[in-house]
Amino acid sequence: MEDFLYFFSFQDPNVLMVVIGISLLSISAAMVGTFTFLDKKALVGDAISHAVLPGVCLAFMFSGNKNPYWIVSGAFFTGALSTYVISWVARYTKLKEDTVIASVLSIFFGVGIVLMTQLQQTGNASLSGLDHFIFGNAISIVREDLWVYGALATCIIVVLLVFYKEFKVMVFNRSFAESIGLPVKRLDFVFNSLMVLAVVTGIQAIGVVLMAALLITPAAAAKFWTDRLSRLLFLAVLFSLISGISGAYISFSLPHMPTGPWVVVVLSIIAFLSFFFSTKKGILTRWVSRRKYQSKIHRDHILKALYQAEEHDKKGLPQKDIVDNFPGKVVKTHRTLRQLKKKGYITNDRELVALTSTGNSEAKRIVRLHRLWELYMTEYMNIAPDHVHESAEKFEHIITPELERQLDKSLNFPKEDPHQSIIPRDQNKP
Amino acid sequence: MIQHIENPVVEVHDLMVSYGQNPVLWNVDLSLPAGSLVGILGPNGAGKSTLIKAIMGLVEANSGYSKLFDQELNQVRNKVSYVPQRESVDWDFPASALDIVMMGTYHHLGLLKRPGKKEKELAMDCLDKVNMKNFAGRQISELSGGQQQRVFIARALAQQAELYFMDEPFAGVDMSTEKALIELFREMTAEGKTVIVVHHDIYSAGKYFDWLIMLNMHLVASGPTAEVLTEELLTKTYGGKLSTLADLGEIIKKSGFNPLKD
Amino acid sequence: MSFDQNAFIIILTGSMIAISCGLLGAFLMLRKMAMTGDAISHAVLPGIVIAFLISGSRHGLTMVIGAGLVGLIATACIEYLTQKVKLQSDASIGITFTSLFAIGIILITFLANQIDLDQDCVLYGEIAYVPIDLWITKAGTIMGPRTTYLAVINLVLAIAFVSLFYKELKLSTFDPEFAATIGLSTAGVNYGLMGMVSYTTVSSFEAVGAILVVALLVVPPATAFLWTKNLKKLLTVTAILGVLISFLGYYLAYLLNSSIAGAMASVAGVFFFVSVTLNRHQIPRIKSKMRRLREEMA
Ligand SMILES: Nc1ncnc2c1ncn2[C@@H]1O[C@H](COP(=O)(O)OP(=O)(O)O)[C@@H](O)[C@H]1O
Ligand SMILES: [Mg+2]
Repeated sequence: MEDFLYFFSFQDPNVLMVVIGISLLSISAAMVGTFTFLDKKALVGDAISHAVLPGVCLAFMFSGNKNPYWIVSGAFFTGALSTYVISWVARYTKLKEDTVIASVLSIFFGVGIVLMTQLQQTGNASLSGLDHFIFGNAISIVREDLWVYGALATCIIVVLLVFYKEFKVMVFNRSFAESIGLPVKRLDFVFNSLMVLAVVTGIQAIGVVLMAALLITPAAAAKFWTDRLSRLLFLAVLFSLISGISGAYISFSLPHMPTGPWVVVVLSIIAFLSFFFSTKKGILTRWVSRRKYQSKIHRDHILKALYQAEEHDKKGLPQKDIVDNFPGKVVKTHRTLRQLKKKGYITNDRELVALTSTGNSEAKRIVRLHRLWELYMTEYMNIAPDHVHESAEKFEHIITPELERQLDKSLNFPKEDPHQSIIPRDQNKP
Repeated sequence: MIQHIENPVVEVHDLMVSYGQNPVLWNVDLSLPAGSLVGILGPNGAGKSTLIKAIMGLVEANSGYSKLFDQELNQVRNKVSYVPQRESVDWDFPASALDIVMMGTYHHLGLLKRPGKKEKELAMDCLDKVNMKNFAGRQISELSGGQQQRVFIARALAQQAELYFMDEPFAGVDMSTEKALIELFREMTAEGKTVIVVHHDIYSAGKYFDWLIMLNMHLVASGPTAEVLTEELLTKTYGGKLSTLADLGEIIKKSGFNPLKD
Repeated sequence: MSFDQNAFIIILTGSMIAISCGLLGAFLMLRKMAMTGDAISHAVLPGIVIAFLISGSRHGLTMVIGAGLVGLIATACIEYLTQKVKLQSDASIGITFTSLFAIGIILITFLANQIDLDQDCVLYGEIAYVPIDLWITKAGTIMGPRTTYLAVINLVLAIAFVSLFYKELKLSTFDPEFAATIGLSTAGVNYGLMGMVSYTTVSSFEAVGAILVVALLVVPPATAFLWTKNLKKLLTVTAILGVLISFLGYYLAYLLNSSIAGAMASVAGVFFFVSVTLNRHQIPRIKSKMRRLREEMA
């Protein structure tokens, strides 16, 4: 708790610096990542992040220490080289893109490992920071680093905002972008450079191995809440900030913990929560609406049974008969009956269930939809009258009032269904 | 105009198929006579491939069923052959034309057994039937589109089935080859086999097929060619989708789940 | 530069690992699942750590089963995210492996005192130590290097898998729909292959690390693919490349005084880029040939 207050009151200038650094990089990565995600290039991001390792090592070799200018340049060089190599190989051979990405990624990383182990063998003490570039350590960020990485991140954010419209058209509709004369090739180049830069910005805090997650995961999680690009960017940035700062905090309170994995774990938790609980497309939401729909079907079936009883000149049905009609659903049927009564659709006197007038018109509506759909199928889809019932059992629950009017019109307000049953209508309405 | 027959070789009952929340086949109900050459007509995206895939158990039906030889698909797999659309596979796969045709013999072999000399001879015969014997050793990516198509047909022949479903076997094939293939299919139907072909040319369809299926999301017609190849039915097939079906599809797409699946 | 018994053992072990990976990787590549292979190799890490914690050793059945299971879970998770959650497939792969790998690294850091596994081992393995890590029976007999035995078992199983199910793998890779219509369980073949890939990744983990396994899975088949026209040759060339990579990688590492696994990946890269350069006109050449054929027919 003390740690927590100390960290989040930002009284320590070092902490403040780390937080600013990781915030900037989270923002820039999430923004670039959103476009990458929409452009379905997420795995190229993975390749780039592995491919910066040899550049980082070369920078160490040449500069002899952890000089951020050298490191950024080296990382940018091999990162950019990898994107170039990927598109070159994919263009000129019959190898498929995913094979090319996996190959380039592992080859570059392998070269990086050779250089890194060689550096380690030389035993140069100032090289101890090299490990941090693999899994990241936000706490190791010092003032000079912040200037470089912060400036880069700001740069990325500014360029993305300036070319916002162009990039938007490009990721949503490439051929349209070409047709209205946007310089798609040049934009691609700018965008690839931004992607490499975004990875480079993150290597010290997050590390090369996991940097890909900062590009992919925020956007993927945000996509479950909205489809609008502006909101998508906002949410991705928010998710990324939350996880970035939490990761930094964990590294701060447990100094031997690498930052990258923690950021990724927090991000992944946010992503999985979004996948399951998003109110828009989440698994749970879909499950709930499915359950609701199933209850509606059950309700419709009970109303229909009562209506058919009325058609056979019965006042209603004994509750027991209704329950027996739906074997295996006793509890559900009782519950539905209670709900129907509460809504005023049915009366339930001494075990005899009957439709009220509201209930009657609702039941009529369902039966009407059933019979209209049966008629539509025979008239327009040439289906034999004895084959239409099953399908109508499904569509009677789906057809909306608008579609009902449309059906009625295209069938010329019919009176009978294909089995010569009356299509019931309310008297007061035409 | 949907004609149903007694003792059909293929029977489809109230078949409904969707991809995710997108219904593409609505209540298809048809039966086909054995020993005939059947054409499936319909515009792009009409669901022709989907119909075949549903019958072959490659996509799951939301409702309805299909029967082949009055039996479940699993009981008669050995008697049924399927030729996918050419674009459905990657032709850069490292294999020769002969390798591909040999795949047609696999289901007779069972697990762990390797194809031998007998299978190879059969495959060569089949390549010969589609006039591709000279290309047996050629790598498949080096074949033209029409030649690749013929390799697929040869593979189907190697299955020695009774019932053939072919998805656009004439795509990319030149006129003379197309005629030769129809000739081959005619010989097969004369032997009592049934060949069902997705086709996109309404003019030649009248000459080629005994029976026609017309499809545009729903079944427009199924019957003897002479009876169903009419102006009216063609207009219904190619004149746009039924707007009510499209609207229903929109409702289902918006609902967040597919109410047609149980 | 010398060729002694240690060199022999390392090269032999490396070759066997490279061949096992390459044989399975060839099918991954042809199924366009190279990145899934990459994902699996990262994702098995938490399985390795947990199995290590339970069994207290990095060898043995617990490890193979534990980590192999995690590999299969990762495959299933990718499929679940793509099909049920309806996330695009590249993102499903990316999220699955980064989260599992992150968990693995955190576990390693937490348990640093309890288990003899470190981040370096994860990154590039310890094939150099193969000759000194001996298998000693309870009776005290020295049987030889332990990892080499594991590699032998792995190789035998990989070869057995590919040759027993050659026909099924080939068919379901080329045309999964046709395979399904003749009653072949394509899901079965797929999970079989993914299971073998997970097992191989785990088995090779100690020698070459979790990340460089990808280089052995994908790069040799990709290189061989540029030179060959049928599957048997593709597999043969892949195997030969595996041996060459191991041999040359060992001496490159010797020369540079660096990680052997990294050097193997680098050598694989040299073969790959040389092949790409020599075959880079393959596509245009095929295209012009096709055009000629079409013209001939018209
Ligand atoms: N795998 C799939 N996933 C989603 N939609 C699909 C898939 N395959 C086909 N569709 C859609 O289903 C409809 C019918 O497709 P298809 O059966 O291929 O038509 P056809 O073969 O008649 O051209 C099309 O609108 C197509 O976009
Ligand atoms: Mg089609």
